[in-house]
Amino acid sequence: MTWLLQLARRIAPTLVALVMALLITGVFILIIGENPLAALGALFDFGDSATAQANSIGVWINRATPLFLSGLAVSIGFRMGLFNIGVEGQYRVATVIAAGVGAAIVLPAPLHILVIVLVAMAAGAAYAAIPAVLKTTRGVSEVISTIMLNSIAIGLAAWFVRSPFADPDLGAGETAATRPIDESGHFPGLNDLFGTLGLEEPRRPVHGFVVVAIVVGIVMAVVLSRSRFGFELRASGLNALAAAANGISSKAMVIKAMLLSGALAGLVGLPDLLGSAHRFQTDSFVAGYGFTGIAVALLGRNRPGGIALAALLFAFLDRAGPRLQSEGIPPAAVTIMQGIVVLSVLIVDEVARRRLRRREERRARAQDPATRSEESAAQPEVSS
Amino acid sequence: MTENAAPVIELTGITKRFPGVVANSDVHLAVKPGEVHAVVGENGAGKSTLMKILYGMYQPDEGTISVDGAPVEFGSPRDAISAGIGMVHQHFMLADNFTVLENIVLGAEPTSGGRLDFGAARTKIQEISDRYGLGLRPDRMVEELSVADRQRIEIAKVLYRGARVLILDEPTAVLVPQEVDALFENLAELRSAGLSVIFISHKLDEVLQVADRITVIRRGATVGTVDPQATTSRQLAELMVGSELPTPETTESTVTEVVELAVADLRICSDGERDLLSDITFDARQGEIVGFAGVEGNGQSELVEAIMGLRKPDAGTITLGSQDMTAWSAQDRRAAGIGFIPEDRHRQALLLDAPLWENRLLGWQTKAPAGGRYWIRPRLARQEAAAIMTEYDVRAPGPDTMADALSGGNQQKFVIGREMSTKLRVLVAAHPTRGVDVGAQAAIWDRLREARAAGLATVLISADLEELLGLSDTLYVLLRGRIVAKLDPADVTPEILGGYMTGAVTANGEAAER
Repeated sequence: MTWLLQLARRIAPTLVALVMALLITGVFILIIGENPLAALGALFDFGDSATAQANSIGVWINRATPLFLSGLAVSIGFRMGLFNIGVEGQYRVATVIAAGVGAAIVLPAPLHILVIVLVAMAAGAAYAAIPAVLKTTRGVSEVISTIMLNSIAIGLAAWFVRSPFADPDLGAGETAATRPIDESGHFPGLNDLFGTLGLEEPRRPVHGFVVVAIVVGIVMAVVLSRSRFGFELRASGLNALAAAANGISSKAMVIKAMLLSGALAGLVGLPDLLGSAHRFQTDSFVAGYGFTGIAVALLGRNRPGGIALAALLFAFLDRAGPRLQSEGIPPAAVTIMQGIVVLSVLIVDEVARRRLRRREERRARAQDPATRSEESAAQPEVSS
Repeated sequence: MTENAAPVIELTGITKRFPGVVANSDVHLAVKPGEVHAVVGENGAGKSTLMKILYGMYQPDEGTISVDGAPVEFGSPRDAISAGIGMVHQHFMLADNFTVLENIVLGAEPTSGGRLDFGAARTKIQEISDRYGLGLRPDRMVEELSVADRQRIEIAKVLYRGARVLILDEPTAVLVPQEVDALFENLAELRSAGLSVIFISHKLDEVLQVADRITVIRRGATVGTVDPQATTSRQLAELMVGSELPTPETTESTVTEVVELAVADLRICSDGERDLLSDITFDARQGEIVGFAGVEGNGQSELVEAIMGLRKPDAGTITLGSQDMTAWSAQDRRAAGIGFIPEDRHRQALLLDAPLWENRLLGWQTKAPAGGRYWIRPRLARQEAAAIMTEYDVRAPGPDTMADALSGGNQQKFVIGREMSTKLRVLVAAHPTRGVDVGAQAAIWDRLREARAAGLATVLISADLEELLGLSDTLYVLLRGRIVAKLDPADVTPEILGGYMTGAVTANGEAAER
């Protein structure tokens, strides 16, 4: 019973924040002269026919999976106060290399997929190693270097797709692409599952990679909370100086965190690559997951469970974009709403965290009135 | 000083309750014009709460405040300021990217016809600066100034607002000795100009040096007001604690012949002309406490960092038992059984935003059973944290309490418990009782003595000479990165030690540089 109460106490602020975000967005929609209630309706409208609804759910899953992986990748760095803004570039490079290598080899199905996944992770980690090494050897801020490497990644991927991995069978005028990956490297979709569950099957493939993402999420949750690495990561983030003084090498942590973050970033492009695209093509490559992942990680408070919920929420809003447009509301409203959600959740959470902290201080003080710290006594109601 | 003048400020029967605690109960304090009135007490005795009441930040539940004999009520600091009371906080509140002048007028900007009038302010500030010997340069940027300069700006800020009574909250905590002397000269100027200063401190020697009268607070209540001329620092401390003072003296020697930690010819270079450490050679035997005395900044921190593997020495070796550990990582050294009590617990020893059980793991995360090569075991860490809390009398609700919620003394007891609850070979303790109240101090000394009796080799660095003399078996003095004397604490007085520390006395004969 008490844990239920605690859970309620923990999610209550987030719910309050979500409602606030909804209200603020409503005001925005009013300002541009549209009906907020119609917009709200459109937000939850999954379509009229059973097929349309199944399609909607498919789009939701396909969108949430890479967002979750990207948020997870970003959160690893955040946990130790390391800002890996480069997930965007890391997953682009990783995807093109994985596509190229995947097309060049033929293996039995599960093995083929495994090799592609490992190549993508290795490539992402390798690309993330550059800012890590720059930071540990030369003190270059990872924020700057990863942002710049994002631009370089675009050029790098364009070169990969034209030169070493180019599909020789493409005709003139066709967009450069890697050769398609063989059938054995296709990740089975979830469409059949819809049928088994008694739903209509979506027309477009629903990426089965979501299962891998869930497993990765669980593994990361365990690693972060139960492993020495997870503890050292958290300690470095909370107090880098204390971590160093207690034998946690900050350089080693920067390298480890960046490599893991990059490896996870390498997975971001795979749901699409293995599930439906089967090749890397500059035009159809979905960019931007790396940046949105930052917001998702923030919203999810760097915890895998939270990130999963945040990814679902973001994907849910993204999915509603076209429908809002048909209501005459610009799809930018979705972006505004996502921004407001992140802001309000962060603000409300911070307020809640401080209240919790004060309560705890009071409890600690009640235990020990004699040696109560004077600073903490000054916390409430100071107004100078 | 006006001996029998009516008090400018009088607090009568002040009581202030917070949920669960009574911070002040029936406190009386009378401050006369033209005196430096010290308020002393242990950490948590209620000094700060009392000053916040006087400064209008808190409202008392009972009791009255009178200014010039007339009762007043302060709703906010603004009321206190207009009554002529000003406060210099322990943590300065200055805008770094503003000039001295701008900082002083900030919040009380002089205007003429709606525009800022810096000319008048400049004249007034110059006048204040000259009158009280503050030596302010109004156009310097605050970020370029030293801590002592900033403190003088804070004082000027208060004077600029017309304060007749200045509250200084632990003003010397952030200053080096020379700066303390300069501050005391400033205070003397203020006093001779007829202003009153309330000086909050727990450094008894300073209080005795500077105060005209001293009010002692214990557990939220006034114990009494004494005359510094007729009081020794020991008597004052006993008033503060309310009992006989514990002494750091160790009983009998437990020093063995087995060398546990050997440092030889250690050297750390710097970019400057002088090495941070040079030719440091000493042994710490099992059951021995090796003390290092020295004015802060003479190489103590570097020595600690070199032993703990946080800083690479440029030359020399460090040996643990029979193993050369010079090349070991910090992690390896901890794992080998070297405990570490850093000088700044907030910055180096604790994760303030993490629960105690996580803090239990910090530094020992590789050590079974709670830690390990790959995995940690939160359940065991919680049990261990709970065990430390009972054994070391850490008062907190439980292992899931955030470290930040604990008082300084309890935090330090937890850190010491964490380090000593593992089987250690060597303990490096830097200022183990700094900022800790007298009760916790005695407990910490007891622990160090017990560990010494059990055969631990301890390297003790402290600024508290009594602690060093009382606990150490061998005492070294560090001056400018060198060991300038090796002393037997049994026949050294604090005065002689002070002489070595400042370089006034040079080692002769038996205590020459090794």
